[in-house]
Amino acid sequence: MTQDILDEDDHEEAGWENWSGSITADPDEILEPETESELQDIVRRCADDGTTVRVAGAGHSWTPVVETDGVIVSLANMTGLVDHDPDAGTATLYAGTTLEEAGTELHTRGLAFPNLGDVSMQTVAGAFGTGTHGTGPEFGNLSSVLTGGRLVTGTGEIREFNAEDNPDLLRAAKVSLGTLGIFTEIELDLQDTYKIQRREYCTNWRECKEHIPNLIEENRNFDFYWYPRSDEVKLRLLNGPGGGTDHDDLEYATLVENQTGWWQETIPAHDDIGREFDEMEYAVARENGLECFEKARERVRENWRKDVGWRMLVRTIAPDEAMLSTEYDREAMTISCIQNADLEHWPYFTDMEPLFREYDGRPHWGKKHTLRAAELEELYPEWEHFQEIRRDLDPEGVFMTDYLEALLEDGSSSEVEPT
Amino acid sequence: MTDSDSETDETPIGETRWVIPGGHVPTGSTGPEPEMVSHDKLCVLNTGPEMATLEVTLRYGDGHEAGPYPLSVASERVRHIRINDLIDPYAPPLGRDYAIVVESNVPVVVQFSRQDTRQAENATLSTMGYGE
Repeated sequence: MTQDILDEDDHEEAGWENWSGSITADPDEILEPETESELQDIVRRCADDGTTVRVAGAGHSWTPVVETDGVIVSLANMTGLVDHDPDAGTATLYAGTTLEEAGTELHTRGLAFPNLGDVSMQTVAGAFGTGTHGTGPEFGNLSSVLTGGRLVTGTGEIREFNAEDNPDLLRAAKVSLGTLGIFTEIELDLQDTYKIQRREYCTNWRECKEHIPNLIEENRNFDFYWYPRSDEVKLRLLNGPGGGTDHDDLEYATLVENQTGWWQETIPAHDDIGREFDEMEYAVARENGLECFEKARERVRENWRKDVGWRMLVRTIAPDEAMLSTEYDREAMTISCIQNADLEHWPYFTDMEPLFREYDGRPHWGKKHTLRAAELEELYPEWEHFQEIRRDLDPEGVFMTDYLEALLEDGSSSEVEPT
Repeated sequence: MTDSDSETDETPIGETRWVIPGGHVPTGSTGPEPEMVSHDKLCVLNTGPEMATLEVTLRYGDGHEAGPYPLSVASERVRHIRINDLIDPYAPPLGRDYAIVVESNVPVVVQFSRQDTRQAENATLSTMGYGE
């Protein structure tokens, strides 16, 4: 049965890599099921064979969450809208739908995600599973709109879940790295479609520093890039047309971009830059966020200006209750470090990481970090509860790899190479 | 204006390939940034009627090549490009000797300058590249 599902071209290539090329895998098979029942067959076969199966989204991660020498499943054939209710503001999508596809489908039906990140190529389920987020103190990460769905568990069973019948499973599933099962359908709590005005300003740190707290409060979505080799800053303000910080109050900055469009068109496509970079991002408590960034800025200027040209990105996120969300139970500010894929990133990242840890930072699940289970469980109050749910849904560990074992079960950073 | 003057005016000034061997971005700076950050800079003048499409490649002493960095300069415009600001596909490491090769689809004029603010007595230098 599963041989029929095999995409022979993919099988011949027998390779998978993430978007930057820094993570590669050589699985036995790359499969693209077209139905839920085909997916169940794949998982059951892998369970019977003692083979690991991992689900891949768009590969927009810098950690080996997909890497396996077993089977990689792509949901590229399970995309689109299942149904929707414009009056209730809800919709159900197939899990392989990309954010770009979802944006178009939902907009034509008058619905919208309340917030988005910076990239539209990710699949919805993949973005949820790794805790992808946008920015704005009133908005949680992307998975915060997940209200239920269907997944194929490690035993090949279909498990439906929702907030009424199994709220703990929902809170575990939102950010779960594909370790509870493989999503097939996801139910979303959305809002009416809307327009956004995106303004971008250039300035420098000494000019804008004191204004950052107000900019966070006054704008629907605000974030900023800091450029280490010049101390220049790009401010990004997204609001309903005409909203947000008055232009006259930004006399310390130069307006370089001013566009208004439907919400799904405001995601920067990043077509003007390459994809060959690696990234580390930590979420710290928002009240300490700017202090942490100031120290990070000083450390970059002191230690890394010679070797790092890429900007640092600072965003805010609302708290939530997802068990492995980096925003679990606290307002967060995220700080990310980026380096060209062709240049060494670990000396830079491992120099910066202890600073983020001093602030009880939680590493983004899809970006570079060195933490393992022993350290991570101290950061998540419901860590063990999540693991119980995961073991219940995947008793034989068909979704687990050596990396995920180290990350979620028994890892020690001294025993595992950085990934 | 005579016909010959008009033809002269329409002939772009410059060359399509330029080389500056003496690149070296100082690692330190003194004074408020970004104004006083030490840097190397390319100044490209396009006097012609067409958009100039450039590829900038950096060559290091160990044989490593960085780039090419695609750049453009609009018709009848000058553009200043700090080497420090190049990021993609490869942020040039500072403090290392390198050379700059500029290739353009139309004739342009390329000048090179350096601002070195490592000490309070700031230094600047400027030179033309070698064109052919």
